Amino acid sequence: MKLIILQEKLKNGLNIVERITSKSLSLPILNNVLISAEKNFLKLTSTNLEIGINWWSLAQIEKEEKITVPASIFSNFVSFLPNKKLVLEIKDKTLLIDCENFKTQIKGISAEDFPIIPEVPREEFFEIETSPFCQGLSQIVDIAVPSTARPEISGIYFSFQKNKILMAATDSFRLGEKSLFLEKETPFKAKEISFILPQRAAKEIINIFSGKNGKLKLYFSPHQVLFESELSETPHPQIQLVSRLIEGEYPAYQEIIPKKYQTQIILNKNDFINQVKIAALFSGKINEVKFKIDPKRGGVEILSQNPDLGKQQNYLRGEIKGESLEISFNHRFLIDGLNSIRSSEIIFELNGEEGPGVLKPVGDSSYIYVVMPIKAS
Amino acid sequence: MTNEELWQAVLAQIQLNISSANFATWFKNTKIISQKNSQVIVSVPNSFVKEWLEQKYNKFILKILHSLNEQIKEVKYSIGKGELKRTLLPVEETNQLEFPEFKIDKETNLNSRYTFENFIVGPFNELPQAAAWAVAKNPGFIYNPLFIYGGVGLGKTHLLQAIGNEIVKNFPEKRVRYIFSEKFTSGVVASIRNQEMERFKSKYREIDVLIIDDVQFLAGKEKTQEEFFHTFNALYEKNKQIVISSDRPPKAIPALTERLRSRFEGGMIADISYPDFETRVAILKAKSREKNIDFSDEIYNYIASNIQKNIRELEGALNRLIVYQKLNNRSPDIESAKSLLKNILYSPKRVATPKKIIQAVAEFYDLKEKDLIKNSRKREIVRPRQIAMFLLREILNSSFPFIGKKLGKKDHTTAIHSCEKIQKELENNENLEEEINLIKQRIFSG
Repeated sequence: MKLIILQEKLKNGLNIVERITSKSLSLPILNNVLISAEKNFLKLTSTNLEIGINWWSLAQIEKEEKITVPASIFSNFVSFLPNKKLVLEIKDKTLLIDCENFKTQIKGISAEDFPIIPEVPREEFFEIETSPFCQGLSQIVDIAVPSTARPEISGIYFSFQKNKILMAATDSFRLGEKSLFLEKETPFKAKEISFILPQRAAKEIINIFSGKNGKLKLYFSPHQVLFESELSETPHPQIQLVSRLIEGEYPAYQEIIPKKYQTQIILNKNDFINQVKIAALFSGKINEVKFKIDPKRGGVEILSQNPDLGKQQNYLRGEIKGESLEISFNHRFLIDGLNSIRSSEIIFELNGEEGPGVLKPVGDSSYIYVVMPIKAS
Repeated sequence: MTNEELWQAVLAQIQLNISSANFATWFKNTKIISQKNSQVIVSVPNSFVKEWLEQKYNKFILKILHSLNEQIKEVKYSIGKGELKRTLLPVEETNQLEFPEFKIDKETNLNSRYTFENFIVGPFNELPQAAAWAVAKNPGFIYNPLFIYGGVGLGKTHLLQAIGNEIVKNFPEKRVRYIFSEKFTSGVVASIRNQEMERFKSKYREIDVLIIDDVQFLAGKEKTQEEFFHTFNALYEKNKQIVISSDRPPKAIPALTERLRSRFEGGMIADISYPDFETRVAILKAKSREKNIDFSDEIYNYIASNIQKNIRELEGALNRLIVYQKLNNRSPDIESAKSLLKNILYSPKRVATPKKIIQAVAEFYDLKEKDLIKNSRKREIVRPRQIAMFLLREILNSSFPFIGKKLGKKDHTTAIHSCEKIQKELENNENLEEEINLIKQRIFSG
């Protein structure tokens, strides 16, 4: 292989593919990135056998060939180089890098042993604007937790419906759901496509694609899903992320979302976050913060106490409808939900002291966060 | 050669020819799922493995297979269903509530929290527990159907779910289904509306163990009863286990068709009565151990002697004390326990009123309150009315003229006659005694 490419381009590519390489004792080649020179492109590939990432860039290719080298050393090294032309060459399973005053050799492993990234059939696909998708996904992605007991809920649920995409995540104590409304209908006539994406893959998608303009293409197969963005200069994929899907059936989470409320409060979000955080300082081991809501007073009293530290109470004005109520929540769960809301005012709906509470932004029906209280004391 | 042996032979040879890292990565969780004619299908855990085996090892695998069995000409790879590991996690007791929908297994409807291990046995529930255990060990052949009845909050649901969970554990291949009778009813209604009766029928007839909770709610729903009757027969004939619970014995369930009643009585009937004092203390101790907390015996005795008829309430009382302890970092003494539990023990709900008694009697016999008060002499109404009068006298010690007035402007002599009649009958009719106990329980459990 012999090719010439600008340092900055290669650095960007390595940053993207390096993330999922992992120290694998059973299969050391997974630490490596696969470098291939093909036609007019340099291609970088990495995988952890759950996710596979391909990245392409136009490059001047003089000889087509492939090799794998350890990702972290290669990436670290390239990032220190000046933004000049790099010449990459392969000789005897060694990668030679030539850049101005630097001449470097990195030992590699034969490309033959590198896992093959599975192909996803290209017939059925779907196009979506990248930035709202990543933004929506980032609102819910942290709710899921890795769980071996219930693999289905360890991932992010996606459902592609006629004119919207639903994304949901839960850890069985709380649940976030984001809807993205589409300008045009999905091309899947009369059928709904849904799948559960591993949380890791969802996080990588946010890392890789957020901040990028343009469209993201999604390709589906029963066991895999492919996210792809295109090069701006020529019709050729730039980044592909292939992930396995989690088997199993996602719980019928719609049943969890309350349709009505007994008590509704509208509060200023930042004030509410602040006051919950203050209360959190005095909450005990189970993170319990108590709310006393009285429609007659027109506000919420927020109390917490810790046998060792002391106790505090504060008061926050808000618009209240419905019944008065005393209820406790884990402050961490509340703050998480509040932080994922972007509006300045929030609606907090409650359903009795042991029923689920709902947080949602004022004037935006696309996001909802459901959280279970702590049993009343 | 069986699929398993054949694949073992292949693995044994491959092992010798590739590095152990490669072997562990690419051949873990693979197996042959079918051999048909000249084609062998190998199940692999994911697409990465599929690609790799197809492109790198296919020739090698085929060669070995061919040498073992000359007819094999082709190998296909398919991504199999990974074995979904379902470990029943020990439930950690915290006060953080979970979405209740998530704890329930979608297929069986069972909640893994209820097991035999955490079911506390005492003289009051020995018989149903033993019967349930026998059923769980040998479903379908010992007591079929098993009918368990008893009052509110005494552990019927726990026992039923424990049977289900135990069978799932012992016989993973058996299809267990736990449902509330009300869900069965709504299933019947929905399938009539959507004209899917056949699907509904077959859905329930493929089950190996059917557990129906609170069957008394079938009372008066004729079409559902009929459907249930057929399902019951279909399962019973195939020696499939049926377990039923109710808040009263089959005989006392009103508006239940005779053929169902006689079937319920055909297996084993076991009742859960009230726990005695010692068992109540034992339950409290076991529950506190589960939650890693200990109180003084004095407190256990206090709770046990004041809450006598409902295990759920025992737990509720205990939870209150646990929260107190967590907040104050010290165990409550007997005085603070008393004041903490005041609300539970003397809540206004427990006070019986004439209205409540009439309501409970009407509900128990599936009548409307106004029927009881109406001036009717139908047998089905007269008797419940007499029982209501008896209870008014016994519980509230109301005067006979008052009782007469409350129940449809009857003369006080009617009231006297009714009370005496029931009193007399009680002496030699155990069924009646039981009925009256169950009604009393309804009155007091609010």
